[in-house]
Amino acid sequence: MEKTQNRSEDKIKSQSDINGINQKASTSKTENSKKSRFRDTLAVLFSSKAATTGLILVMFWVFVALLAPYITSYSPTEQDWKAPNQGPSLSHPLGTDELGRDLWSRLAYGARIVLIIMPVNEKLWIPGGTAIWGVLAALFFGASLGLVSGYKGGWPDEIIMRLLDAMMSIPVILLYLIIVAALGASAVNVVIAIAIVGTPGVARLVRSLTLDIRTRDYVRAAETRGETLLYILFMEILPNAKGPIIIDAMLRVGYAIFAMGTLGFLGLGMPPPSPDWGSMVAKGREFILMGNPWASLWPSLAIASLVVGLNLLADGLREESMRYQ
Amino acid sequence: MAKFIIRRFFLLVLTMFLVSIAVFMIVESSPGNVAKNVLGAFITPEQEASFLAQQGLDKPLLQRYWFWLMGSDRTAARKSGLELELIETEAGFQEWWAKGKDNTLMRWDIEGDDLTVYVKDSDGKITSRKDNQRWSDAKDGSQIFWGIDRSNHAVLWVKGSANEVWTFVVGTGWIKSTGGPQSYIPLKKGFLRGDFGVSLRTGRPVGKSLFIRLRNSVVLAGIAFVVVMPLALMLGMVAGINEGSFKDRFLSISGMIFSVIPEFATGIFLILIMSHWLELVPGASVFGEKAPWQRPDMLILPVLTLTLIELGYVLRITRASMAEVMRSAYIRTAFLKGLPFWQVVLRHAAKNALIAPITVIMLHVNWLMGGIVIVEVVFGYPGLGQYLLDSALYKDVNAIEAGTMIMVLLAVGTQLFADILYTFLNPRIRYS
Amino acid sequence: MTLEIHPAVNDLKSDYEKGKMSRREFIRFATLLGLSATAAGQMAGLAFPVSASAGTVKRGGKIRIAAPVHKVTHPAQFSWIAPTNQLRQVAEYMSYTDENNITHPYLLESWEPSADLKTWTLNVRKGIKFNNGDEFNADDVIFTFNQWLDKNVGSSMLGMLEGYLDTTGIEKVSDNKVVLHLKTAEIGVPEHLFHYPAMVLNHRTFEGDFIKAPHGTGPYILKEFVEGERCVLTRRNDYWKKGADGQLLPYLDTIEFVDMGTEMAPMIAAMQSGEIDMIDLGDQSGPEVYQALKDNPKVNVYPVPTNQTRVLRMRVDMKPWSDNKVRQALKLCQNREKILALAYFGQGMIGQDVHVSPKHPEYCPIETPKYDPETAKKLLAEAGYPNGLDVNLAVGSGWKEIVRYAEILKEDALPAGFRINIQTMPNSQYWEKWTEVDLGITTWAHRPLGTMVLNLGYVADEKGAPAPWNESRWVDKEFSELLTKANGTLDVEARRKIFCQLEKIQQERGSAAIAFWINVWTIASKRVQGVISHPSLYLKLDEFWVDA
Repeated sequence: MEKTQNRSEDKIKSQSDINGINQKASTSKTENSKKSRFRDTLAVLFSSKAATTGLILVMFWVFVALLAPYITSYSPTEQDWKAPNQGPSLSHPLGTDELGRDLWSRLAYGARIVLIIMPVNEKLWIPGGTAIWGVLAALFFGASLGLVSGYKGGWPDEIIMRLLDAMMSIPVILLYLIIVAALGASAVNVVIAIAIVGTPGVARLVRSLTLDIRTRDYVRAAETRGETLLYILFMEILPNAKGPIIIDAMLRVGYAIFAMGTLGFLGLGMPPPSPDWGSMVAKGREFILMGNPWASLWPSLAIASLVVGLNLLADGLREESMRYQ
Repeated sequence: MAKFIIRRFFLLVLTMFLVSIAVFMIVESSPGNVAKNVLGAFITPEQEASFLAQQGLDKPLLQRYWFWLMGSDRTAARKSGLELELIETEAGFQEWWAKGKDNTLMRWDIEGDDLTVYVKDSDGKITSRKDNQRWSDAKDGSQIFWGIDRSNHAVLWVKGSANEVWTFVVGTGWIKSTGGPQSYIPLKKGFLRGDFGVSLRTGRPVGKSLFIRLRNSVVLAGIAFVVVMPLALMLGMVAGINEGSFKDRFLSISGMIFSVIPEFATGIFLILIMSHWLELVPGASVFGEKAPWQRPDMLILPVLTLTLIELGYVLRITRASMAEVMRSAYIRTAFLKGLPFWQVVLRHAAKNALIAPITVIMLHVNWLMGGIVIVEVVFGYPGLGQYLLDSALYKDVNAIEAGTMIMVLLAVGTQLFADILYTFLNPRIRYS
Repeated sequence: MTLEIHPAVNDLKSDYEKGKMSRREFIRFATLLGLSATAAGQMAGLAFPVSASAGTVKRGGKIRIAAPVHKVTHPAQFSWIAPTNQLRQVAEYMSYTDENNITHPYLLESWEPSADLKTWTLNVRKGIKFNNGDEFNADDVIFTFNQWLDKNVGSSMLGMLEGYLDTTGIEKVSDNKVVLHLKTAEIGVPEHLFHYPAMVLNHRTFEGDFIKAPHGTGPYILKEFVEGERCVLTRRNDYWKKGADGQLLPYLDTIEFVDMGTEMAPMIAAMQSGEIDMIDLGDQSGPEVYQALKDNPKVNVYPVPTNQTRVLRMRVDMKPWSDNKVRQALKLCQNREKILALAYFGQGMIGQDVHVSPKHPEYCPIETPKYDPETAKKLLAEAGYPNGLDVNLAVGSGWKEIVRYAEILKEDALPAGFRINIQTMPNSQYWEKWTEVDLGITTWAHRPLGTMVLNLGYVADEKGAPAPWNESRWVDKEFSELLTKANGTLDVEARRKIFCQLEKIQQERGSAAIAFWINVWTIASKRVQGVISHPSLYLKLDEFWVDA
């Protein structure tokens, strides 16, 4: 549970110690055009086997999510009440769940909810998956707090960090329970829960990066130019810290899906019949001992493969960017 | 160094203080009705009001927080003019009494307009008699008495107050009574004086329930820690030495896979395979009167689940750290000097590579305590996590506060320990 | 004991002989009127089987039961079944309603209602001692009655009794005789005495917390009670009942209840490995446990059909449910067979949107509505929703069968135009607002009589406002009048006639959709013998014994 925050944060801390700074230096040095930078990134990606594998895994799920209606023969909510809790068969390649719904369809549409679209309510769907929005929100609040804290220092830093420390000390499961129990179970509230739990970790990371970057010449230059605080924070410092932040965000997406499952387990996740993977695992687990492990197994593997993909991609990017130096 | 430790200790206290306020406020503002949770969904508004009053939940937030923190016995003693004492009976119940003459203890009850005092003498014998001279005149002319009732409250009884109650006394017939409790202060010593208060859900002192459960959780977390850490450090080093190799990829990816499958699924899959199909180990933790270490077979699956979930993380940290050290100039120099491979790895690389993971592992104790909540639920393990989860669902504020405080203490305490350890391991760091 | 046979028994007997009444119903009513079950059985030409033969029973041993160990203070305040299953081994009831819905005298030796059912004479059984040595007598009975009727205690017995009994109506005639003078005629008194909060308390020692003075008349002594952990009971040696072997009950030496949380998986696993001998599902229905353990060679699973159900109820004082057409439309969207098959694995009976189960004595057979989304769509159009409408459905996520029911309904109601948004919440939160939500699915417990349910959930109080448990606020004048008539009708056949009308009204314009009635299970390992599976899942362990 608490690993959601500590884990990725500490991982990132050590990563940033290892190479984050170098990377920043390299990005700040490159004043090339966007196009060539993009080409560089691609070259980096494909020159690493790990990154390529990771990219393939991630892209697989992205494509599955995008093409879900075309690669499935059932809707994710269609119930075949004569065939519940079935193992894999010709008509249902991955089997069916407790209401006779096709597991492959649910997995594919679940990828959508995780990565591509978010159901705000029954009618309104917005682009960007639920997990993605959760991570973005954590990034936004965490980065804002971290930037202010790291750049300003002094008492704002002290106050922000003490409050975030206190927040991190509250057991995450308790935070989840209280947040979602207070707000009710819905996609938006799941996003809020993921964001609140993730914010302190992001803030700490961004603060440590900011502490380093604020001493750089270009920040000094912007200060002497008399730029506004917002400009310095978001246009000078943030872009130069983006490397480690992006890697951190990739890991967080995985744990956000994990969190959706945990919330589902507590009865506070996405409202049914949402096929998001976390909820699928949480619901399917009741049937494991009743003889249908499939309903829980497939989404577990899906989460694992996506997170492994994201990690390999992040690792590969980091290793390759280091080799370039 | 001493200054640094003092500063950190002060921060620990501050964090606990902030968290305790935060938890109080969050529990307060979250929707939910304690009375309905405890007494069932079908209670009447009168029952609800009476329950809330007896638990002291009708008091203002600030006062409740103060009572939780510092205790309410002094306030009650001031109001009643009695000296109060907390005793524990032979059966293990905590009872508050007022001190009387000659080592006797007193509590009161009201029957009709009559106060009855129960006097417990030094031998533990209890006698009761009418005690109406206790009534004193209040400003508005009514007769009042602040005393201690028989369920650990300081109670304001008002004679002839508005709430008329008819009671039927066996052998006597109908009696109209007009007195009644007007205000309650639940008696407690307060968190700072070592009293966690009484759980609203179970009605028993939180401290007692918590102790056994904390012990159980510590046993589980401890064993998991002892299993995971050496394994993870070792495998992490193996992976880090051969960074990018098949061995490395295999270890870090399989570690990662298990760490992202939710533990409530992993746990049940393990029950299915190990207990259901292979019938190797019990799939549930039923200890009864026994302590967990008396039934080690029941710890296998919970520990295995925690191990699978945890291994990947520490492994990856160790791997990253090891890989970095292996690339560093002095290791390359050592190799160039022609030192044997394992000597370089063990003597030079490992020492430096383990600094980062060890501090991270210390941070880990924090979530290992918090993170076993779900594993405990899945295996029916009677630990702190399950207790906290139930308390949170029931809005049982005293239990949540106590559990949270313990977790914060563990979390921040181990962080402090990690920081101190770090300064010893890495003398380059200096604290200002 | 000489006993005058209640005049109504003869009417009942003639009904029975004419075939209007089943044997079981005859025995049930005859015993309520004071006839012993054996006598009633003889009248109905039925010999009662003796429960166990003397040679087979083994004494001694211990069983472990997985059950939630809740906070307990005042037994009259019980609101869950599970804690009563622990304490009912320590304290006992005045009567006993068995698994066939027949009520026997228990701590009472017998009861004698007057002809008008307004005066009930309760004969207290002699020679029973509490486990602290106190003699059980009429004072304990009166004390217990007064606890129920005391507003400050807040017992749910009050709601059941206050309609017909005041404390002034309780008269102590002698140490072994209590007479109740009722305000109105009531036939259900003996059954009410077995309602789960109705444990008889010791008037000398009880001070509001049973755990502090656990003095009951039951076969076991409370040795240890730790909330959330366990409850340990040990045998007492001077219990008043004798077993099949002619010696004093109970057979078992020790019973241990272990709190294993709310997850089913550890309980299933513990049953399989033999760590526990029984699962007390108590307040949970547990079809998952049944599914997982039904084929296990080490485990016996005893099913009982019950009058428990899951009610999809619509608040008639809120839009759009104020319009009966919308209510009927939603009811038509239930594919009942599918709901029972998927939500509850087919383990129960189909419901007909009337809150009277086929197992209730006064049930009048009524047609099961078909799944018909087209008619539902038409009804919605007539009600002013030609394009369908969005509704929120509140469900407690802890009741898995309710969540599945909701998911099935959502899918099947879509063609009719209902776009259902399922709102899940922890069960405790659902109970906080079960009477407030406009559309929700509520669990309703087993009650032996149809009138008991309808009087609780579908009527108004004296002032005309919906009764506290009337969660849908549905009050229908004709329905209420018929129900009052049914309450005062002793003859079951006459009552069934009234129920035919009541059921028709509820089906045609009522506020509740009832798709299924559930089975419950007593789950015990094969070594546990003498298991009785009660439809309320009450555990009465004095005659349980273990083989080896």
